Amino acid sequence: MDDLLAEFVAETREMLEAIEGEIVAWEADPGDRARLDSIFRFVHTVKGNCGFFDFPQLESLSHAAESALAEVRAGRRSADVQLVNGVLAIIDRIGQLTDQIEIGENLTTTGDDMLIAMLDNTAEETSEPQEIQAVETFSARSNTPSSTPRSIRLPVELLDRVMSGVSDMVLARNDLARRLRASGSEPAVDGPFERLSGILNDVREATTRMRMQRIEHLYNPVPRLVRDLSAELGKQVMVDLEGEDAEMDREMIEMIRDPVTHIIRNAIDHGIETPAERRAAGKHEIGLLSMTARQSGNRISVMISDDGRGLDCARLGSKAVAAGLLTEAQLAEMSREDLHQLIFEPGLSTAETVSEVSGRGVGMDVVRANLDKIGGTIRVRSTPGEGTLFVLAIPLTLSIVAGLTVAVSDQRFAVPRSFVEEIIHGAASSLEFTRLGDADLVTFRGRRIPCLSLARVLNLREVSDLRQETLLLIQLGTGDLFALAVDRVFDHEDLVVKPLAPAVMATGIYAGTTLLDDGSPILMLDVYTIAAQNGLVSDVRIRPAGRDEQVQHAAAKTRPIMLFVGMDGRRRAIDMNLVRRIDVLSRDAVDIEGDRAQIVIEGAILPLVGLNDRPLPEGKIKLLRLSDGHCELAYAVSEVADAAAIESEIVPSDADSSIEGVTLVGGQPIPIIDGLALFARHGRTIRTDTALTCRLPADDDWSRTMLHPLVQAAGYRITTSAEDSADVIIVMEEQAVPADTAATVIRIYSDADQPGSADCGIYRYDRDALMGALKHARAGKSQ
Amino acid sequence: MNELLVMARIAGKRAAFRAVEIQSVIEIESISPVPRAPDFITGLTAMRSRSLTVVDCRKSLGLSVGAAPGVRAAVVEVEGHLYALQVDQVEDVAEARSAPEPVSGGLGEAWQRVSLGMVETDDGPAVLINVESMIAGPPANPSASKPGTARKPGNKPIGVSA
Repeated sequence: MDDLLAEFVAETREMLEAIEGEIVAWEADPGDRARLDSIFRFVHTVKGNCGFFDFPQLESLSHAAESALAEVRAGRRSADVQLVNGVLAIIDRIGQLTDQIEIGENLTTTGDDMLIAMLDNTAEETSEPQEIQAVETFSARSNTPSSTPRSIRLPVELLDRVMSGVSDMVLARNDLARRLRASGSEPAVDGPFERLSGILNDVREATTRMRMQRIEHLYNPVPRLVRDLSAELGKQVMVDLEGEDAEMDREMIEMIRDPVTHIIRNAIDHGIETPAERRAAGKHEIGLLSMTARQSGNRISVMISDDGRGLDCARLGSKAVAAGLLTEAQLAEMSREDLHQLIFEPGLSTAETVSEVSGRGVGMDVVRANLDKIGGTIRVRSTPGEGTLFVLAIPLTLSIVAGLTVAVSDQRFAVPRSFVEEIIHGAASSLEFTRLGDADLVTFRGRRIPCLSLARVLNLREVSDLRQETLLLIQLGTGDLFALAVDRVFDHEDLVVKPLAPAVMATGIYAGTTLLDDGSPILMLDVYTIAAQNGLVSDVRIRPAGRDEQVQHAAAKTRPIMLFVGMDGRRRAIDMNLVRRIDVLSRDAVDIEGDRAQIVIEGAILPLVGLNDRPLPEGKIKLLRLSDGHCELAYAVSEVADAAAIESEIVPSDADSSIEGVTLVGGQPIPIIDGLALFARHGRTIRTDTALTCRLPADDDWSRTMLHPLVQAAGYRITTSAEDSADVIIVMEEQAVPADTAATVIRIYSDADQPGSADCGIYRYDRDALMGALKHARAGKSQ
Repeated sequence: MNELLVMARIAGKRAAFRAVEIQSVIEIESISPVPRAPDFITGLTAMRSRSLTVVDCRKSLGLSVGAAPGVRAAVVEVEGHLYALQVDQVEDVAEARSAPEPVSGGLGEAWQRVSLGMVETDDGPAVLINVESMIAGPPANPSASKPGTARKPGNKPIGVSA
């Protein structure tokens, strides 16, 4: 049987079980509003689920019951015996049909019309006997054993017990392993122990997976649902799904499946307009429904947005007043945002007509009730004419998180791996560190990234040298990037994260706790909150998709700049993106000839600007090293002040072509240097940046694993193909080299004594000699 | 009908826990500290593959402490979370000879907050501890928490270059 269908059957059955008690109670007291509501929700949900599948009878049955109950809810009809019996009969019938669906039988339709007619106001009581008969035939039928089910549903507590049992076994295994090691090797025991250990690892892996499911499972039915709904309603809707890799507790996925379905239905039915309306409003004819899931800290956020007409605040408000939820005075005081949240109140629907799809004022309250149950929250944001965004935040506790264990000051922590883009050692030559005020910046692949030291975040100690640290490059769901410096990175581990005590949780920097294999507890960091506490999270991407223009606009407005004091004592600013690093050099490196000044930095000669004909300071000179990607410049400054963001407008200056304009920073006018003009006037391509090519032996493991990274780090482009021209060729032992090559040849020998006999021969573990030879080759080629 | 009490000493004073509230008494082997957590939380430890939040009762009372707490701790569960309450020592299990009664004149502010009153035992009176108040820690009082607890780390927001 189809997975979806199996889920549908299981879910319907579960709901039936859950409301069984309610039905009996309702029968006893049909005036009980709460019971009525929950029965109503049941038939509503069944009707909704039928939307996925082609079960017209089931749909018409539940629709009939829903309509009748809606009348009762609206007070237009009283719950008399006939109605109660009719509804109960339909619920029974839904149960039977579900059984039939499960065993894949063709659905029988006998008696369905009768059941529906029973609920009709004008129907007569005569239908009852036949209805009973129908029920009997089916109960006889469903008693026959069906095919064996391929999946079973288990209580979650049982799963939890199994999981904690397996965790205990792992700890006991580790303890035993330590004892075995201590008592010395005993082959008779070691073999079976290894086997046991392996099996245990498999079991553990399986148990941890038991609860987890990719969020994909939530997404799968969405395109179909959207297609069917939009076809039915004569609308055109495109779906955009993102973040299907996020893993979530199976239970959580089941819990939010209904809410998500309800929201999507509402979005298409009420949110997105018809193509004609959209054209008239100047929008693209095809509406966009996007769904994004991302893990942020210890929660998963699921965002569902449409670009439809938005919520009608005025109608929501007046409905709420009419329903007695609010007084006019309260309404007048409410903010728009709060007003939007009214859609989660029971009994409010802004739809003018009741349609097949949604709009009976049930749904959104069910959505919120379901989320409340699992400790989740839901918010809605809407802009009239532009669309609506629902943000569901679902807790992640009890889920397995792929984690990275790191250490700071001899203490271990876990970082969710999903955030970690890359791990870089601080000593890597591709990194440049800059200290601005109290903040650290690291430049990596041309991007200037804020750098947080975990030791400092945790108030453990001050980190003096980031080069000694290992950097985790962390990408947040919002797109913000920062580096987190730790002392060591240990390992990848799958961690079962458990909630922390409230007092610890209040620190905000931990998402949970987990036990390592050796049984010691370890804290999982809440990377998102840490970033937020340090002001590293931007709020520009509140909408999941389709807002790129706005993001760019916002980004342009808050362009980061660096403030400095020039040699002439005036404050200026320059685009932060241009600044590669700040250097302090001896004035001996400067060479001035007429109005042309140059400076030698790391063996390269760069144009020096910013002196403005002032004499050089005594001793050291402070420089901003600027780069536009092709050229480099040195800009002499007397002081580097601070980093800032341009918030106000840049007023262009006609008089001075060297500045882009003047902007206000902290109330002070600051001229911003026109980087473009600066490079146009002084820029010079840096010769050393042209990478030389080095050819390595094609099929040699040692060369691939050892040599490759070494040579690359020395600034060479790597090739293994003999066709490519190369500036340097590295060969093993006595391997032949094309005689006519102009390239420098380096021979690698595995015998330490051999190199002496040959030209350019290097012993394979003599790293210094190899680096020296590569450097020598570079110097020769670039002249 | 007499209630069973677990007798302990906190900062040298006689204290009693309701035995029904104590899951077990453990000897804490190792504690992983929790940086930036309130001072009264010593850290985390593990018991039968569940992690416990270790609370130093003396610090929770806001008392300045000299010596390290005893190795023994009483394990309690509050709202689904397990806590190990560090005391000087766990002495015995005793029967209460009276219902908890308020002490006229009070026990002093710190003790008053965590106490359910005084109970009589065969060995004399003891303060009956309110476990929830004990794990809640001292009220927001700057002298009772680490100076760094509430402070944000020194880094200020910086623009991220695109």
